[in-house]
Amino acid sequence: MEASREIYWNVGHSAATLVPMYLLAIGAMGVLVYGFLQRMKVYRQGKELVRWDEMGKRLGTAIKNTILQDKVIRVRWPGLAHGIFFWGFGLLFIGTLLIMAQADFLDLLFGVKFLKGTFYKLFSLTLDIAGLAAIVMMGSLLVRRFIFRPQGLETTRDDVIMHGLLFVILVTGFVIEGARMAVTELGTPLSYWSPVGLVFAKAMSGFGEEGLRNLHKVTWWFHLFMAIGFICSIPFTKFRHIFTTSANMFFADRGPRGKLTTMDMEDEDAESFGAAALSDLSWKDIFDADACTRCKRCQDRCPAWNTDKPLSPMKVINQLGEIAFASPDAELIETVGKDVLWSCTTCFACQDICPAGIEHVGKIVEMRRNMVLMEGEFPGDEVMAAMEATEVNGNPLGIGYASRGDWAEKLELKTLAEDPEVDILYFVGCYASFDKRNIAVATSFIQLCRAAGVRVGILGKQEKCCGEPMRKMGNEYLYQTMATENIETMNGYGVKKVVTSCPHCYNTLSKDYRDLGFEAEVVSYVNFLEELVASGRLKIESRDLSCTYHDSCYLGRHNGIYQAPRNLIKAAGGRIVEMEKSFDQSFCCSAGGGRILAEEKLGSRINIKRVEMASATEAPTLVSNCPFCLTMFEDGIKGAELEEKLVPRDIAEILAERIVE
Amino acid sequence: MNLLVCIKQVPDMESKFKIDAAGTWYDNADLAWRMNEYDEYAVEQAVQLKEKTGADLTVLCIGSDRVKETMKKALAMGCDRGVHVADDASSRKDSFSIASIIAEFAKSKSFDVIFTGMQSQDRGSGQVGVLVAEMLDIPSITTIVDFAFDGGKIAAKRELEGGVKASVGCTTPALVTCQLGLNTPRYPTLPNIMKAKKKELLSVPVADLCKVEAVSETSTLYFPEKKGGGLILEGDVGELADKLIKILKEKTAVLA
Repeated sequence: MEASREIYWNVGHSAATLVPMYLLAIGAMGVLVYGFLQRMKVYRQGKELVRWDEMGKRLGTAIKNTILQDKVIRVRWPGLAHGIFFWGFGLLFIGTLLIMAQADFLDLLFGVKFLKGTFYKLFSLTLDIAGLAAIVMMGSLLVRRFIFRPQGLETTRDDVIMHGLLFVILVTGFVIEGARMAVTELGTPLSYWSPVGLVFAKAMSGFGEEGLRNLHKVTWWFHLFMAIGFICSIPFTKFRHIFTTSANMFFADRGPRGKLTTMDMEDEDAESFGAAALSDLSWKDIFDADACTRCKRCQDRCPAWNTDKPLSPMKVINQLGEIAFASPDAELIETVGKDVLWSCTTCFACQDICPAGIEHVGKIVEMRRNMVLMEGEFPGDEVMAAMEATEVNGNPLGIGYASRGDWAEKLELKTLAEDPEVDILYFVGCYASFDKRNIAVATSFIQLCRAAGVRVGILGKQEKCCGEPMRKMGNEYLYQTMATENIETMNGYGVKKVVTSCPHCYNTLSKDYRDLGFEAEVVSYVNFLEELVASGRLKIESRDLSCTYHDSCYLGRHNGIYQAPRNLIKAAGGRIVEMEKSFDQSFCCSAGGGRILAEEKLGSRINIKRVEMASATEAPTLVSNCPFCLTMFEDGIKGAELEEKLVPRDIAEILAERIVE
Repeated sequence: MNLLVCIKQVPDMESKFKIDAAGTWYDNADLAWRMNEYDEYAVEQAVQLKEKTGADLTVLCIGSDRVKETMKKALAMGCDRGVHVADDASSRKDSFSIASIIAEFAKSKSFDVIFTGMQSQDRGSGQVGVLVAEMLDIPSITTIVDFAFDGGKIAAKRELEGGVKASVGCTTPALVTCQLGLNTPRYPTLPNIMKAKKKELLSVPVADLCKVEAVSETSTLYFPEKKGGGLILEGDVGELADKLIKILKEKTAVLA
C-alpha cells in the first residue's frame, strides 16, 4: 500500500466536523479583519504620506525581512530562535493548508490526492521536524523571557498569552499525531517518517485504543479551538506584528538614509510647524507604533539610554502608540517629555537595527521642530546662543564670519573667488575652519591633495555652516537659510565636485541639499583619498601604527562607509584593533543631532563611555573621521584621564604624516 | 497704551575691526551685523509689557537700509510696527543728534513707556536714552535689571556697583534703559518671523527729524598702541636667571 494517512481520522470527515470547523474559521477571519479595520481608523488619524511607490522594491524588502527574517537574525541568538520558530510554524501552517486543500477540496470534489507515497513521507518528516524546532525555539524564548530575562525586556499580558497559546498549539499537535499513530502506525515502517509523533505514540501506547481515540478526539477539537483563538487574538495582542511588522517593512523609508523631510518655508498658510499633536504626524508614524514588538534592540543601542538619559527610542514609539489609541488629543511633547526629545543624538542606531522598519529619528526631530519653531525653545541657553551666533556669523562658535578662511592663509590656499579653476571644492565646515584641533585635520587634507596634484579651492568667508546641527535640533528655518546661501554660492561658481571632511556636512550636502536645488557631486574625504591612494596618485608610506577605529554615525550607519577608512588606515600601516562596538554597531561620540551645541547635563558622559571602549582595546591611538567625534574624544580622554594611554587622531593626519614626496 | 523701543544695529563684536579711511569710525567691510545686545533686553521687556497690557509697540531704528534686517528681528520678537529713520550717515552722528531725532519722532506720539538699551556696544556713550527723556521732559530710569508696570506706575530695579540693587519708581510717561540681567530675550518663532515680514515698516528720511547740529565730534578713532608684549625666555635654569637679572637691571628699577 502506498504511504499515506487518513485525514480526519477518528474525528470524521463529515458535516458534523466540517461545518463547525469552517464556521469557526470564517468567524475567526471575521474577527481578524474587524480587529484590523478598527485599527486602521487609528492609523488614519495621521497625515497622508505616500509609501506605495516602487512597489517591486518594497515587496522585495518586505519578503527579505519577513520570509527570510533578514533583520531579525542580525541579533544572533534571540533572532535565530525567532527565525527558526517562524520558519517551523510557517511550515506547519503550509502543511495544514495542504491538508485542507486535499481533503476538503481536491479529494472531495475531484478525487485527487497528492499527500501520498514519497511526497507524503517527506511531508510528514518535514512537519515533524518543523514542529520540534518550533517547540524547542519557543521553549528557549520562553526561558529567556520568563526566567533569565535580559535587562529592559518588557513583559506584559500579551507575552503570556502568546507564549502560552503557541506552546499549547504545538504540543497538542504532537499529542494528536501520537494518538493517531499509536492506533494506526505503531510498528509500521511508515512511523519512522514521523519521528516526533512516534515518540509521542510510544509514550501513549499503553492507553488502549479506546482511550487513545477519546484523547485524540478531545485534543483535536481543543487544538482547533486554540488555533481559532490564536487567529482571533492577532489584532488584539502583540500577535498583530505578524501583519503590522511585515507590512511596515513594505512601507519602510526607502531613503536616502537619514534625510529629513524638507519643510515648505514659503507656505504662508501654515499655522503650525513640526509635531505637537498626533494629527501632525503621518499615518506611518502611528503604524510604526503598531509594528513595534518591544524587542528593545533600539534601546540596547541608544547612546542616551546607555548613559542614563531619559530617552529610550522604544518607549517613545510606544508612547506615541498609546496616544494614538487611548488619548489622541494628548500633547505629544508633554507626554513624551522634552528631556527625552533633546537627548537624541540622531546616531541612527535605533533605526538601523529595528527589525520592524520603524523610523524613530524623524519623529523626534518633528517634535523638536515644534519646540523650536513654535515655542522658541531649546535644551539650554547655550544652544540658543549658538543659533543666534549662526544667524549672525554663519557658524555656531560665534567667531567672526570674515575669519573663516584664515586657517588656509599660511597654506596659500585660494578661495573660489580668487581662483575658480579647481578640481574640487573643499567644503571645510565650521570646526575645521575655526577650531584649532580640527584646523590641523583640514591642513592635513590639503597637504594630501597637494601631494596628489589635486587643485583644491575653498569658499573662505563665503562658506556658511551647512546647517546640520541646527536642523537636527529642529531649527529648520535656520538650516534652510544656511543651505540656500551655500547652494547659491556654490552654484554661482559652477561647482561640480565637493569634498567634505566632516561627515555631517557630507550627509547634509549629499542628501538634504538635494531638495533645495543642489546637484554637484559630493564625496567624503575618505572615499576621495582612498581613490587617490588606489590610483597611485597619492603615495603613502606604510609605517606601523597600532590603533582602534571609531565609525562615526554619519559616515557609518548613515552612509555605509565602513571599508574605505579602514583601507586607508591599513595603507598607512595601521593595525586596527576593533572595538566591541564597531561598524554598524558603533557607539555615538555624543555630538550628533545638534548635541555638539548643547551641554550634556543628564546622566553620564557619552564621550567618556566611548573613549573607555577605545581604551579597552589597549591600542594607543583612536582614529576617527569626524570633527565632532575628534572634539568629543579630545574632551572625553581628558575627562576619563586617559591622556597617557590614548591619543585621538583623524585619518587625514595619519596619512599626511606618511606622504611620500 | 503706546510703547516705543529704540534699537541700534551694531557689528558683531567678534568681527575683525579696521579703522575707516576718515579715521573717525570703523570700516564697514567684513562685518556681521546684529541687534545691540542691550536693545534686545529692551525689546524683550517692551514685548512682555505689550503682551500684558495689549499696548501698541513701535520699534524705531536709525541707519541705512541694512538696519531693516535687525528691525525684522524686533518685529518677529513681537513689536507691532517699525519706523526706520533712513540715514546712511548715522554712525557719524553724535549722541545728542541721535537723541534729538528720536525725541522729534516721539514728541507727538504720546508714548507711555520708551525702552532703550543702556548703551550701544559700538559707540558706548550711554547717553541716548537719558537725553531722549530730557528732551521729552519725562523721567528716566537707567540700567534697569528688573521691571514691573502697574496702573501707570513703573517699579524698576537698578544694579549698582558691587551688585547692590536700588528700587526706583516713577509714573508714566517715562523712559527706561535696559541692562544685562533684565530678562532673557526670546527666540522668534517661525510664525512670528512670517508675520514680521508683513508688518508695517515705515521709512522716514532723517532730514525730516534731525533739526539740530552736533554738539560733540569724534576726532580720531584708533587701536590702543601695542606696548611691548610678553617675553619668553628659554634655556637652562642658570642661563635663565642671568637673563632675567640682566633684563631687570636694564629695564626696571627694582634692583637699583
